[in-house]
Amino acid sequence: MIKTIAKPSERKVTGCGECRSTCQSACKTSCTVGNQSCERVTREQNPEKAN
Amino acid sequence: MIHVFSYKDKNYIYDSGSGSLHECDKDTAEFVKWKYENGEKVNLTQSKIEEIERDLNSLKEQGLFLREEIKAYPIKSNELKALCIHICHDCNLRCRYCFADEGAYHSAREFMSEQTAKKAIDFLLANSGNRKVLEVDFFGGEPLMCLQTIKNVVAYARARAEEQGKKFLFTTTTNALLLDDDAIDFFNREMENVVLSLDGRKEVHDAIRKTRNGKGSFDLVVENIKKFVRSRGDKNYYVRGTFTAKNLDFSKDVIFLAENGFDSLSVEPVVTDIDDLAIKPEHIPAIVGEYENLCDKYLEKHKKGEGFNFFHFNIDLEGGVCLQKKVSACGAGNEYLSVVPNGDLYPCHQFAGDKDFLMGNVYDGVIDPVIREKFASSCLFTRKDCDGCFAKFICSGGCAANNYHFEGDINTPYKVTCEMMKKRIECGMHVLAKKKELEGK
Repeated sequence: MIKTIAKPSERKVTGCGECRSTCQSACKTSCTVGNQSCERVTREQNPEKAN
Repeated sequence: MIHVFSYKDKNYIYDSGSGSLHECDKDTAEFVKWKYENGEKVNLTQSKIEEIERDLNSLKEQGLFLREEIKAYPIKSNELKALCIHICHDCNLRCRYCFADEGAYHSAREFMSEQTAKKAIDFLLANSGNRKVLEVDFFGGEPLMCLQTIKNVVAYARARAEEQGKKFLFTTTTNALLLDDDAIDFFNREMENVVLSLDGRKEVHDAIRKTRNGKGSFDLVVENIKKFVRSRGDKNYYVRGTFTAKNLDFSKDVIFLAENGFDSLSVEPVVTDIDDLAIKPEHIPAIVGEYENLCDKYLEKHKKGEGFNFFHFNIDLEGGVCLQKKVSACGAGNEYLSVVPNGDLYPCHQFAGDKDFLMGNVYDGVIDPVIREKFASSCLFTRKDCDGCFAKFICSGGCAANNYHFEGDINTPYKVTCEMMKKRIECGMHVLAKKKELEGK
């Protein structure tokens, strides 16, 4: 039995550089880009929350 | 590459090439481990093997299993996105573990002038190219010792940004000692995020985070932080703690914070070489076990409707950043710089004061091209030790500053951090799966 839990959403654009700076979040010592969301995906899925 | 791991009774397969996560039964996990991770040979019936292979082939056809890892190039734009403004190199606390020399950064205790802070804003705008959204983090020392300067700089930045069709997102990192009604009101109006330092249980916090006269600061800050959080609404904040070798049972601190009404938390391993506080290789088994404890408690709370946000368990596998960003890592020294009180520029706050990494000054307006190129070209693929690691597209080769301070090279991952990171990622993936299960997805 194999069940897919998560896979990356399809991207129309990659490498646009619109993502937030990694070090502005919470940790200031162990920055992890895997915690970050793509600004474009966020904007598409939730226009009210996007910058 | 494939990474198979188990968490309690759950088994997972993570395919780093596609960035997808699958849950499977124990037989499938052991089979994949045997076939693709040099695991032990498993004894399964022929029909079971055929069933597993059918499932794996189906995933492969969808590009979700054994997908080739693409060697994307890092983003090397010359646009500056963010500045960490060290609004003062002085602090009203004397925390033993402070990487910033208790606020002074191994130099004189000084405050940034309003003129220099405004110059830093001009510098960011001038170097931001076509980028519309810019980020500024007020950092210290303790920024609330300079609240009026911050207010004036924010007003200035907003006005300048409007003229240029840009927007600023501000963050402040504070110890909350001076977090009064005026500061709370200002933060709620102007700060997109606020990071408040609180280590957890009173005895843990007070053992390290002391006032200038050597008294614990817990009682002086906790009510300020509670008041702030109550007033914050749905705006972002993090209560951020640090754990050291003295509190390897830090899950208790996280739960303590959650049970005191703080629902957005980050508790980080200390960065220090102070012998009795530093995290050492021999602490790793205990820390790995503690992340599991935390993960169990986190999910328990979530099930009871008392869930909270723990920064390191947020792994975004679906709407996460693209491969180019993952390869580029945090952007320090290239799209993100730190400015110290006299206007000098460094790759990030962790390099502040190290003259080998001095990149210029906001008054000169020039960024040292050699140092910038060194950081811009440092990426996942220059961190050779990461080649065989499943976590590489999530951690991006770790923190350049940690790598440099502990291994002597920004491209050599600091092994102690790697082990903690890998465990946090597994916990984050398990959290993701369990949350989906609870939501019936």
